[in-house]
Amino acid sequence: MHKKDTAAGIILRLALVVFVTSLFATVTWGADARTLLKESENRHRTRTQQYAGDLTVVNKDGKVRKKGWKSFREGYAGDARNLIRFTDPPEVKGVGFLSISRSAGQNPDQWLYLPSMKRERRIATQDRDASFVGTDFNYEDMEEFDHEKYKVALQGEETLNGSPCYVIAAFPLEKDGKSVYEKKILFLRKDILYLLREDLYRKGDKEPTKRLILSDIQSIDGHWVARKMEMSDLRKGSRTTVLLKEIAFDKPQAVGRFTLQNLNREGGD
Amino acid sequence: MTRLRIAVRLLILLLLIPSPALAQGISGYAEAKGFAYDERSNSRDPWLLGWGTLFGKWEEMAGGAQLTASARGEWITSVERGPLIFDPADRHIRRAPLSVRDLWVRLPLTPSLDLQMGRFQLGWGKTDGYSPADAFLPRDLSDPFSDEKLPLWALRLSGEEGALRFEAVVSPVTTPWRLPVLGSRNAPLTVEGFPEGTVFNELDTPPPWPGFAALRLLATFGEWDVGAWGRFGVRPAPLLAFRFDRATPTSTGLVVPVERRFAREEGVGVELSRIAGAFVLRGEAAALFSGDRDLGNAYIGSLSLERGFGDGTLLVTLAANAKTTPVDASLLFDRAMLPVLITAWNRTEEWGEWKFVWTAGLRHGDGLLKGEAGYNLTDLWKLTLGGEIPYGSGKGPCGALDAARRVHVALRRSW
Repeated sequence: MHKKDTAAGIILRLALVVFVTSLFATVTWGADARTLLKESENRHRTRTQQYAGDLTVVNKDGKVRKKGWKSFREGYAGDARNLIRFTDPPEVKGVGFLSISRSAGQNPDQWLYLPSMKRERRIATQDRDASFVGTDFNYEDMEEFDHEKYKVALQGEETLNGSPCYVIAAFPLEKDGKSVYEKKILFLRKDILYLLREDLYRKGDKEPTKRLILSDIQSIDGHWVARKMEMSDLRKGSRTTVLLKEIAFDKPQAVGRFTLQNLNREGGD
Repeated sequence: MTRLRIAVRLLILLLLIPSPALAQGISGYAEAKGFAYDERSNSRDPWLLGWGTLFGKWEEMAGGAQLTASARGEWITSVERGPLIFDPADRHIRRAPLSVRDLWVRLPLTPSLDLQMGRFQLGWGKTDGYSPADAFLPRDLSDPFSDEKLPLWALRLSGEEGALRFEAVVSPVTTPWRLPVLGSRNAPLTVEGFPEGTVFNELDTPPPWPGFAALRLLATFGEWDVGAWGRFGVRPAPLLAFRFDRATPTSTGLVVPVERRFAREEGVGVELSRIAGAFVLRGEAAALFSGDRDLGNAYIGSLSLERGFGDGTLLVTLAANAKTTPVDASLLFDRAMLPVLITAWNRTEEWGEWKFVWTAGLRHGDGLLKGEAGYNLTDLWKLTLGGEIPYGSGKGPCGALDAARRVHVALRRSW
């Protein structure tokens, strides 16, 4: 039961990662890290987003686990409503997850539908350092990256796979909740200011503990989006890959899709 | 024989397909399960038991309508297996080897109003360990530790308007609780007065046709979810009538006919849940009224506390009936364990998941320890190992099942 809960949590937050990374718009260079991040947010907001996703977890022994789902979002950030429905494997098929944002500073309302129970259950927010269903993401990794919760500084430039990048260091501000990490290093592709890599440093560590790599970046419906995201746990030697398919932005959503009535529709989207 | 071989080969072929090759709307599983016991309540109880299941489900969207059908085939080595009969509403006392689990259509009358018709399962209530709103729904206790719900033939109208939701259900056919074989290790009936060697001859008394009608209202206000419900009709849990007047002595002991009868019952309830930081608090209260002398009234309350710990969840539920039952509560099934404290802990691991449940009866000091670990061999194959240990006073519903202590192993292939 909880497995589905946490898996749904992953997917919601993955949707947020996709959303946030898509905010890094092309801007004219000449400002500091904070200004760049702020500019990006203003340019790449979308009214809706939907996609189908495949998640693959490969542990250190090479054993592979897969999951599939459909994700729908309407609104963004403070007024976002998300619905996720798992499609694969059979054990979790039909599990649904609904999240409805509340006013600033409040956690979203979240419900889970389990076909085995035939009813929805309201769920609470999770530990930020907890891993999800044996994946390499924890809850904090999946949270929307809000630069206002970080002290940010432009550290220089580097080239990743032939793409020149700006390197920005982000230090969590403790007043916005305890972070699992002491530091995050963001690599932004210079031409489109899109996130290509994120190195995550746990407290007291000199080397990154985990690394998120975004690739297969495409412009869809006028919005940049990474179709592949891979989180590696550099200590454990495992990795989790997320592939996004059937991505669409600003497509009108069915009336009543983001309701408890719809969440409880067995077999529905 | 040739046909059987062909069928077995086709099944093996199906199971060995490395990835889901069937249409997207078809799913299911095949499972082989084995149980081993360390005790018997009588010479008829087996030491080992096998349980094979083949389940298939078809789902289709046609326009806005959702169509779903599913069926189950079973092979059980114990006396719980019933004859191969047509029992589309699970009204007979034993499990038929073939059964329909789903056969329903859901029509969207408006974007926020649905009508569902056919055979489907209901899930009500807020508290997970024990919910008075849910407890009356029919169960199949052939395996007393599995808590398997039975589907109903029903009409359901459900809708949502703003923060308010409603659900109206009419079930025109009573689907009764299915009980284990009386006198077996799963229902030893240690009630005083039965001489040793007594055999119960369970009569397949037909349940009444009318079922029940119910209305449930739900609303969400910030971090609060509130609800209220009411229902009336036939209570699906049977009352057992031991016909000593028709008992017959045999060379091995007394044979006592046992009939099932069904009482009418009306009930109302409220339900509440709230998020409090990392905790989810849930509560329910229900008042149940019946003029039946063996059933009587009940005032049942339940409280649960849930906390997530990463990939694990701890759930504690306390439930109790404020009213003393007119007969031994064990014979009322859904009220048998009350008052009860249920502690459940489950966790997902990299290799699979495990769960542990401790059900503690507070009246007789008996209980049940239940543990299970599922190892994902692949995304489609799963190996499960587990065990159930009832303990404590034989006067309690769990303690009476001490001869049902067991370990089990199951291999499931899903598609």
